[in-house]
Amino acid sequence: MNFKIIFKLIGFLLMLTGLFMTAGIPFSFYYRSDDIPALLISALITSATGFILWLLTRKTENNEFGKREGFLIVTFGWLVMALFGALPFMIYGTITNYTDAFFETMSGFTTTGATIIQNIEVIPAGLLFWRSLTQWLGGMGIIVLSLAILPILGIGGMQLFAAEVPGITKDKIHPRVRETAKRLWGIYILLTFSEIILLLIGGMNLFDAINHSFTTMATGGFSTKNASTGYFSSPFIQYVFIIFMLFAGMNFTLHYQMFHGKFSFIKKNTEFKSYILFIAIVTLIVTVVHLPHIDFHLEEAFRQTLFHVTSLVTTTGYVSSDYENWAPFSRMFFFTLLFIGGCAGSTGGGIKFARHYLLTKNGLLELKRLLHPRAVIPVRFNGKAVGMDIISNVQAFFIFYIGIAVFGSILLSIFGLDFISAAGAVATCLGNVGPGIGTVGPVNNFAHLPDIAKWILSFFMLMGRLELFTVLLILTPAFWKS
Amino acid sequence: MRIIIAGVGDVGYHLAKELSYESHDITAIDINQQRLAHTDSMTDILSINGSATSLSILKQANADKADLFIAVTSSEEMNIASSILAKKMGAKKTIARISNEEYLSNEVKINFKEIGIDFMIYPEALVVQETVNLIKRTAATDLLEFEGGKLSVMGIRLDKNAPIIHKTLNEVAKEYPNIDFRIVAIYRNFRTIIPMGKDKFLPNDQVFVITKPEGIETILKLAGKENINFNNIMILGGSKIGRGVAKLLPEEMTVKLIESDEDKTFSLADELPRTLVIHGDGRDIDLLAQEGIIDVDAFVAVTEDAETNIISCLMAKHLGVKKAIALVDKTDYVPLTQTIGLDSLINKKLNAATNILQFIRRGEVLAQTSLEGIDAQLFEYEAHPNSSVLKKKVKDLDFPKEAIIGGIVRGEESFIVVGDSQILPNDKVVIFSLPAGIKKLEKLFKS
Repeated sequence: MNFKIIFKLIGFLLMLTGLFMTAGIPFSFYYRSDDIPALLISALITSATGFILWLLTRKTENNEFGKREGFLIVTFGWLVMALFGALPFMIYGTITNYTDAFFETMSGFTTTGATIIQNIEVIPAGLLFWRSLTQWLGGMGIIVLSLAILPILGIGGMQLFAAEVPGITKDKIHPRVRETAKRLWGIYILLTFSEIILLLIGGMNLFDAINHSFTTMATGGFSTKNASTGYFSSPFIQYVFIIFMLFAGMNFTLHYQMFHGKFSFIKKNTEFKSYILFIAIVTLIVTVVHLPHIDFHLEEAFRQTLFHVTSLVTTTGYVSSDYENWAPFSRMFFFTLLFIGGCAGSTGGGIKFARHYLLTKNGLLELKRLLHPRAVIPVRFNGKAVGMDIISNVQAFFIFYIGIAVFGSILLSIFGLDFISAAGAVATCLGNVGPGIGTVGPVNNFAHLPDIAKWILSFFMLMGRLELFTVLLILTPAFWKS
Repeated sequence: MRIIIAGVGDVGYHLAKELSYESHDITAIDINQQRLAHTDSMTDILSINGSATSLSILKQANADKADLFIAVTSSEEMNIASSILAKKMGAKKTIARISNEEYLSNEVKINFKEIGIDFMIYPEALVVQETVNLIKRTAATDLLEFEGGKLSVMGIRLDKNAPIIHKTLNEVAKEYPNIDFRIVAIYRNFRTIIPMGKDKFLPNDQVFVITKPEGIETILKLAGKENINFNNIMILGGSKIGRGVAKLLPEEMTVKLIESDEDKTFSLADELPRTLVIHGDGRDIDLLAQEGIIDVDAFVAVTEDAETNIISCLMAKHLGVKKAIALVDKTDYVPLTQTIGLDSLINKKLNAATNILQFIRRGEVLAQTSLEGIDAQLFEYEAHPNSSVLKKKVKDLDFPKEAIIGGIVRGEESFIVVGDSQILPNDKVVIFSLPAGIKKLEKLFKS
């Protein structure tokens, strides 16, 4: 194991994180808030730590690293970023408990959007901006960003990319990983920028527009308002949110194709089709259920339903209504949605459509295989047959995912959560969604949980964001044997 | 014509035989001395032992003075390379046999003429088309279409209870005066007969009929056959031919493909979404039973191995399959398979050879096809305005007795030829001929 290169790269990441902490200072000036010292001090501590790490390891000649180093850099990079990212909240004093600050930051970086802050509107602008920025950076991935802007990584770049943007199949849009990273971030920035413009047109002020665009495109879900997006009652703004949540939940390779005028994926891409179809069908059903709840205003019922279904399926986690109480069974309905997830290669979390599709299709084909034991009947995905190695990988992922969710729920019950809240909290954190059910439901937050529960959930968020394998691998003894 | 044939495998051998018969000057190049000696002893050619890509060998074969260079070795690369070399040395025309469909498709356009290959043949594609036609036209043993189906030549085996058994040609003609078909050949006891009016039909005769599309139903009735629609097809072997057939069969047919190579099955399943790909040995009766051979209408065996194909087709017939089609590339087996009860057989190499002959005769001959198992050819000639066929009515022509005129396509119309028919300029004439008749035919149609 080449530890020097690991520390060197984590040092770089910390310097970068420190730099980003200062990004909200213009807003602090504009709104005359008193958080500038807190931001500056945090930035200094973070960058200085990073600089020292880099200084100690800079002389290393050996710049090569393999899969193991890649997994370690990504996992510990994210961990350290969250540890230091919590500093502004602590130093300013808006959050007094470090556990809470860490939970909030991890929830930010992993684009979960679960929060422990009760009154968000008293938090100064610079700090709010940092909170939204953690999500935006975490959405496309800060390591992907480093790959795009730092010329330091050679061959190892691909290992890092694979560890931070796990997925089922690798679709690089350029032969070189650095160019791929640049293009992904380019699309990401362009979409974010478009959303800002549209939200401004919808009447939002610039600060809110930027913050919300950051958290929509990252499928994060943090808001600057206590009532979350419910604060913005304009249908136009809600539709803008819906559309950009849908964009964020799509595979970014598809955006790349769209920018090049290729729209054939609408017909050909299996995952995209199942994504749109699923949201449409669920919205249709829930709209009918929701109608009596709001005195049969059809458009409003449709909009609210579509908004929440999209928000949960893409793992954004925006909330504008207490959907748990729309109908007696809507809690179960929305709980199930926590396990769906966006498309592979999107900024969304969760199990993801590609995996659901492969598993379901493989399950159905297994029935056919029983009839024809000697036949070779592969699952077809995007018109291509999928090998058994991939199916087996997806099955393993699914088993781990469900196993961790069950195990986590039991663990949280032991620490005093009721059944529904425990299951909801784990599902929403592992899936990087945000709101759960029960006492961590759409109108509640995570502040009341015991500290230990918050650490466990923070760990689940990280596992969910890095799609289990990256983190789980490090926990196996085999990983440490050379 | 000076012709060089590189590679005297089955295709090359067949070509050498046909072409030397027509008194062309043929030089054969092959790296295998034994094969070469065999060809040399059976035909009138000059043989050179060596590699077709060797410049000194090509020079020795006088490639610079050749009118035609035909590369039909088993290696595609060698065929392409030697064609290019021969062309650059001065050969007038080159033909290369390929084994890659892509070269003929229009997806990526490469001008092969420019680099020195005038004509490429891909025998697999020809065989695929023929097989699919046979499956669609279920009662026929052979089916060849001319001018987009305006005329077709069908081969049918006569059942014992067919209405025309033991009748003479004249009697049948009297009984059905208004039907649009003509019997061009009968294959009986390993011999091809050009039938005269007094010839009788016997059970188990294989009869070749030229017909307009409207006549097909009547012919089937006369032969005691019905054209049933096949829905259930089983293909043995995932070679290029197996793949091609599975791809080309209509969507409503249920197609199962058996392949014994496990790695290949996955790529087959990938390529053929509508086909059920099964891993196993086609000679395994349990497997066939498991996959419902009882319900299969047509069984197509197209593995690389002729013996496997024949055996598995016989087995399929034994299990009640209505039609079994075997790919038999060993020319020696061709006459044999007819007698042991196979419905149709296809021969990739003969197909390729015929395709090349057609290219050579291009000009007067529009199309040429061989019928498997029988020693005869079907030609489609275009009648030149000043050729001698136009001068008299068909019955008065000095026509070779080894050949028979089947039909004429005139513009959009088609006719079945009778004694009083008159061939007009630019008619396309379909003729069935034994090898001995070819020379005379060429004279008749020459301008």
